[in-house]
Amino acid sequence: MLRSLLTVALLALAAPALAEDPVYTLEFKDGGFSPARLEVPLAATVTIRIVNAGSTPVEFESKALHQEKLIKAGADVAVVLTGATAGDYEFFDDFHPGAGKGVIALVQ
Amino acid sequence: MIAQILFVVWRESIEALLVIGILQAWLVRHAAATARAYLWGGVLAGLVAAAVLSAGISAVDTALPPRGQDLFQMILMLTAALLVVQMVLWMRRHGRSLKRELEAGLSAELARGRLWGIFALALIAVMREGAETVIFLQGILAATGWSGEALLAILAAFSVAAGSYALLQLGGRHLNWRLFFRVTEVMLLLLAAALFTNGMGHLVSLGLVPVEPPVWDSSALLDDTSLFGSVVAGLTGYRATPDPVTLVSWAVFWGGIFLSFRAQRLALARA
Repeated sequence: MLRSLLTVALLALAAPALAEDPVYTLEFKDGGFSPARLEVPLAATVTIRIVNAGSTPVEFESKALHQEKLIKAGADVAVVLTGATAGDYEFFDDFHPGAGKGVIALVQ
Repeated sequence: MIAQILFVVWRESIEALLVIGILQAWLVRHAAATARAYLWGGVLAGLVAAAVLSAGISAVDTALPPRGQDLFQMILMLTAALLVVQMVLWMRRHGRSLKRELEAGLSAELARGRLWGIFALALIAVMREGAETVIFLQGILAATGWSGEALLAILAAFSVAAGSYALLQLGGRHLNWRLFFRVTEVMLLLLAAALFTNGMGHLVSLGLVPVEPPVWDSSALLDDTSLFGSVVAGLTGYRATPDPVTLVSWAVFWGGIFLSFRAQRLALARA
């Protein structure tokens, strides 16, 4: 009982800190990815977490963002965008050609 | 899946194949055996480096700082671009007298510098895409349990790549030399433009230059996200939606080529 109360109390204290840095996640899985359109609020520094939930390696690539990240199966990587302008930036999986392209939308 | 493996492996290896294939054809033509030794030494070193690099990524996984990886890639690409341009300029000037100069030890300092330049270029060309290819293949093979289908596709991809290489050697041997040299020279310069544009693009991923929206959209002409378009983009530096950094890279690169070619022409005319 005491332990539960303590846990809740700690979580309540930690909540503001946790809420400060929302993580935007893009999940890749063997040629597919979700969401197809990731909307992220614009900030001076934008961090997007790219997760490979599939069994084959993927390469997150966006020519517009000048990003190329190799992600092995089960791994994840953080992409940091600095001083970006609002807009739609296309991305795709270079290791799964023909799997279509998605969009990272930086919105004001 | 076969099509995927075929395309990806071919695409990853084509850049290195063009560089090594063209250099080999140029050096064979001028019977520069020593230079070819440096070339293949570089290839071997590149294969070892690719193996080490891919193992390194395997061991450390995401603990490798992404900024470190970006910086490393940027340095590799810009160095490779510089080496290609130096090689082209050198062949334009010394091509015909290459054998004589190397054998007589003439301009030894310059020659030795160029020989190590050939070694370094081969090393970088193989190592860059080699590490990615190793990781891609490892991943695919692990996921498909080393299926016969996957192995066959890999073999086929390397055969096609080897075919491209063989084609270059045949061209060097049987085509009119001036024509072959001009065409391959342009191919290498376009490759260097791609490396330079890509390398400069890392200024953005490193956070040194802000992300900017594209200045124009030429996807109607050639979409660089299509299969064919992405290969063209990789081999020439073409971008359907270039941002300011890309445009500046293009201007700096081709401006630099124009100026250095002109300077060389003037120097040769004066000699």
